[in-house]
Parts: sequence; C-alpha cells; structure tokens
Amino acid sequence: MRFLTFLIICSTLLSSCKEEKKEATISINKPEAIKETISYAKGFSISNHKGYKKLVVNSAWPNSNKTFTYLLVNKGEKRPEHDANAKIIEIPIKTLVAVSTTNIPTLEYLGVDNSLIGFPNTKYICAEKTRARVDNGDIKELGNDLELNIELLLELKPDLVLGFSVNGINKKLDQIEKLGIPVALDGAWTEQHPLGRAEWIKFIAAFYNKEEKADSIFKAIETNYLKAKEVAKTTAKKPIVMSGSSFKDVWNVPGGKSFIAKYFEDANADYLWKDNNNNGSLQLNFENVLEKAQNAEFWVGSGNFDSKKEMLNEHKGYAFFNAYKNNHVYTYTKRKGAKGGLLYYELGTLRPDLILKDLIKIVHPELLNDYETFFFKRLE
Amino acid sequence: MPHTKTYKLPYIALTLVLFLCFFANISLGSVSIPFQDIFNGLIGSSTANESWQHIIHEYRLPKAFTAIIVGSGLGVSGLLMQTLFRNPLAGPFVLGITSGSSLGVALVIMGASFFGGAFAGILVSKWSIVIAASLGSFTVLLFVLVISNKVRDTMAILIIGLMFGSITTATVSVLSYFSSAEELQQYIFWGFGSIGNLTWDELFVFFIIYSIGILMSLTSIKALNTLLLGENYAKSLGLNIKTSRLLIIIATSLLAGTITAFAGPIVFIGLAIPHMTRQIFNTSNHKVLLPAVFLFGAIVMLICDSIAQLPSSDLTLPINAITSLIGAPVIIWLLVRKRKMIF
Repeated sequence: MRFLTFLIICSTLLSSCKEEKKEATISINKPEAIKETISYAKGFSISNHKGYKKLVVNSAWPNSNKTFTYLLVNKGEKRPEHDANAKIIEIPIKTLVAVSTTNIPTLEYLGVDNSLIGFPNTKYICAEKTRARVDNGDIKELGNDLELNIELLLELKPDLVLGFSVNGINKKLDQIEKLGIPVALDGAWTEQHPLGRAEWIKFIAAFYNKEEKADSIFKAIETNYLKAKEVAKTTAKKPIVMSGSSFKDVWNVPGGKSFIAKYFEDANADYLWKDNNNNGSLQLNFENVLEKAQNAEFWVGSGNFDSKKEMLNEHKGYAFFNAYKNNHVYTYTKRKGAKGGLLYYELGTLRPDLILKDLIKIVHPELLNDYETFFFKRLE
Repeated sequence: MPHTKTYKLPYIALTLVLFLCFFANISLGSVSIPFQDIFNGLIGSSTANESWQHIIHEYRLPKAFTAIIVGSGLGVSGLLMQTLFRNPLAGPFVLGITSGSSLGVALVIMGASFFGGAFAGILVSKWSIVIAASLGSFTVLLFVLVISNKVRDTMAILIIGLMFGSITTATVSVLSYFSSAEELQQYIFWGFGSIGNLTWDELFVFFIIYSIGILMSLTSIKALNTLLLGENYAKSLGLNIKTSRLLIIIATSLLAGTITAFAGPIVFIGLAIPHMTRQIFNTSNHKVLLPAVFLFGAIVMLICDSIAQLPSSDLTLPINAITSLIGAPVIIWLLVRKRKMIF
C-alpha cells in the first residue's frame, strides 16, 4: 500500500516535469538556460557565472553568521579565480555520501539516488528504492553521523559529502574536508517556511546539473501546497490547536515563528503559541501548558507515540487535556520504514504539501472529503 | 634505591614493544590493507590502491601519534598527581582539570539552548572545542593555584578538586536538561573520547604543549622522590615545597588539560598506568618510574586503540570503553597476584 502511494506521488510529480530530456542540453556556459529564482528558501542562493555556478549557504545552522561559498565547476572546465574561503567542487558529481535521511527522497525524486554510496545509520532509511540498495550492499554503512568511519569514507572517496551542522561545531566534517573530500552543508532544516525547506532540492540538484528537474518538482509541490492553503481559507472556522509533548518535565512546544506554526497558520488553525516570537522550540513546564492548552480542540504532533496508552505511560498528566479526552490527538507516526524509521522525518522536508493537507484534513475534515492523511494518524 | 642501570633491559624491551604496537596499530583498521602496502605507504612509495595511501598517511599515522601522546601524557600526569598528593587514587581527573574542560565544552555545545541564540554565534570554528576545553581547564588550574597558596594541606586541595568536579557535573546536567537531542549527542560523543580526529597541524600544536609538560615533569623528578618521604621531611631536606608543588601542578594541568582538549576526557589511563608500572618495575624511584610510565602509557593506548578500531569491521568503538574494559581487569589481576599495592 505504501509503495503504491509512493508510486502515485512520484508519477503525479513526474508527469509535470516531462522536459526531462532537455537536461542533456543544459550547459554551464549558457547561464540564461538555468533559472536562479529562489522563492521561499532564505538560507542559500545560486548564481550562474561564466563557466561556473556559485552556491552560497548563509544559514547552515540556526543563527549562523558564517557563509559558505561553493563554486561548482563542470569537470574539465577551467577553475575560476576565487578567494580562499570559497570551495571548488567539480560537477556533476557521480558519487555521494549523505548523512541526513531528508536527502534521500530528494535524490530519488531527482533520479540520482544511484549516486549514494555511503550513509551512516542506514537502518533509519525508509524509502524503499534506497532501502533495497542498502540491503544489496550498494550503500556502505558508515557508523554514526557524528563519528563517521573515516577509513571507510576515504576508501569510498565520494565526490561530495553532504553534511549538516547543528551549531557549527563538527570536527568530523572539518577532518573530512582536510582529507581532500569536499563537504557541502545542507541547511534546509533552518528554514522557517515549509516550502523553503522543500526548495533546498534546488541546492542538491545544482551538484548534479539537474536544476530544471528540481525546478519542476518544486513547482508541483508549491502548486499543491498553495492550492491546499486556498482550500483551508474557505472556512470561517479556526479550531484551537496545541502541539508538542513533555519529556522529563520539559514540554517542548514549537515557537510562534517556527515552520510548524506556519503550517498551522496555512491550515487555517488557531495555534495557541502563534504570538510567540521564537523560531525554534520553547521549553515550558507541564503546568504552564496545561493552563493554556487544556481546552484546545486538537492536539497535533504529540511526538513519536503510537497510541494514547503509550502517551499515558509517559506522563499521567496528558489525560487532563480535552483533546486527549475527546480523542483528538494526532501525530506523524502513520508510516514507518522497514527498520522502524519514521517516514515523516525523511520525506516531510520535501513534501510540505502532504503535511499541510494532512493538517487541513485533521482540523477541517469537511474540506477534504476524499483525502486520506499521509503522515498523520489519530491516536486510539 | 636501586640504580637506574639495572633497568636497562626492561627499557629496551618496552621500547621494542612500543615499536611493535605502533606498527600493529597502523596495520589494523576498518579497511584491511596488505602488509606490503602498509610498508609502501609508510615509506611514501605507491600503494596498490590510491586511497590506502591516504588512509595510512592522513588517518592512521596521526591517530597512532595521538595515541602515544595521550597515553604517555596521561600516565605521567597521573604519576605526578599520585606522588604530589600521596594518594593512590589521584589522577588528572581529581584536580578538577578534566571537569573544567568538560564544562567549557558543554557551554560551547549546549550553551545556545540554555542562554539563547546569542550564544550560538561565538566560538564557532574548528578550534572552538579545543579552546573551550583549554579555557575550562586553565580556569580550574588558576583556581587550584590560588587555593594551594592559601591551603597548605595537599589533601584539602584534592577534596576541593573533587568538589569542583561535582559542581561541573551539576552545571552540565542543567545545560543538558534544556538541550536538543542533537546537541546532547554531540556532547556525549565528546565524552567518549576520540583520538582519530586530529589532522597534522592540530597534532603539531598538541605536541608542542605536551612537550612542555613532559619537560617540566622531567625537571621535577628529584622533587617527586623527596616528596614521597612526606612534605615535612622534604622541607627538612631543603626542598622548596611551594615551588615544586607549583611546578608539578602546572605540568599536570598542561598535560591533562591539552589532552582533554584535543582527545576528550580519556578515562582510566592516568590513574592506572602508574600502578601497572609500579607493579612491574617494583620501585617507587621516579627516575625509573617516569620513563617507564611514559613508555607503558603509550603502549597501552596503542593497544586500546587497535582494539577500538575492531579490525576488518565497519564499526569503531569509543576509546573510553576500551581503556576501562581492558585496563581495569589487568590492575585487579596484578594486585591479586602481588597481594599488595606498591606505593
């Protein structure tokens, strides 16, 4: 069933990007052939220059004040003059090591998933095509994402390591770079707009000269998202929504400027912490949340729980919430990979349209009659 | 006290073992490389597979040298502490030096979650962890020096060091309570210790500071031997206790502090290596002990690292797990066999 849904999504997306064959004609020497428009993402920019592309990442981690410049030069072409901070990467890359599962759907959508030759913690991979390559031994297990096995990596010698950094401190990535393997930092997760996160597909596509394909995939996702948003606007109802859950007395709640809050806004829901100015998550205590959210109609995104019982085992206090009493607790545990990884964490970044539709279906079920939620399920 | 010459043979044997362990360490790893290629890689001629040369030169060699520095440095600083405090349980951790480093690192990694975004902008370069750890241990060192000037009793300094460790643990708990899963993981991984993370230029800086520490320890040998007889007795022999104590504390802090900064808090080695050496060499003369501890520490660390790499498997284990798992039973066995602690 999951595979079928996956096929349907893929075919819908790919049907809107039939100009696939044009790829062969993309030449870096004709800058006008490549679109440079980034509409939602704020963390990176692409510009085309004579003989090379310039990728600038200015938000590799939250509040980063460091920019990373990558000059993407076609193999065999002359290297442009550049300052010491810019890193030259030869493209199109043929082999890749990625460390985040969010990159895997992107590679599959772009049709370059065969380039992935190494990954840490392969057990978290859900996507079936890549999963099969892991099981075949085509993708080497590299240990933990913080402690990548350097010897194996050196032997694989990928054209690029696509990494990420939580706070700019990542000795392993620095070391990999020093050993002569280029590293690019993916900052998709720092974006505040759900579509901004998805738009990083253009960032990855640049390394493969697949900008046109990325563009059409993104357009399809954007259209889908905006359409859903319009549908949500057609109702005057604005149900009150709470989110998050408590872990050892600290309740993590998405901040009012976070991308989760943006989802709730676009789903035409009244998110309880929408007036807050934080773009990450808030650490609140239980009493605090109970006082504010006891009467919330919906509880969306309560964590990795599979059932209400499981929630209650974690914290007795959950039962005091009206949403809990009225069976209105929803979370993103509907789809899991073969080894237990959550598909939401993997595909959610690339498919905000599906998340938004799920949320609309939850808070305004009457608006999307024949839609069935993709990531979210109601906890029983 | 027996004369140093008696120990010529064990020294030669230990040096040979050190070389052997060094080559074994370079030969073993996740990627199996034939011996011929290891040799070719070491002397700089071409290997059958180009990436092997990279693995040997840029990864295994710096790692092996780091192991030698870490093992010998921690062993020596442990010996210095045990003699200075005349306490067999003393080690680099006891002065609170490692705790200070941990606190510095915790602030850098997890500070942003606790203090808010403003904290995230500072100190983010590849040296940030090293600088934070050094600043942390340096602060504790200053603190200990001030106290050791006021408090005459070395036991009191020992207890103050332990107390500082507790304060650090508590502060780290508060920080981690509010941290994200990724930050926590980062901090915990730092705590596992790692000797495979250094590049040649980092190793160079590391080596210089370490050498200063080792040189200072060598100049303290006479003072250490006198201190073994007790502070009052040492004083009556004309030893300037204050200066010697200061010198020994600085040497330990330099060694333990930089090692923690570059390789994380490596447990067990500092405490156990001096005991292992005393059991084998059966002496408390520092002229004999110090070089032996130096060699022994390096050997044990190389062996631990070779095991941690789990030869021919994709996995590597945290070095700290191995140092304790392998080392502690050895100490127990030695003590049971000899039936008493030489100290």
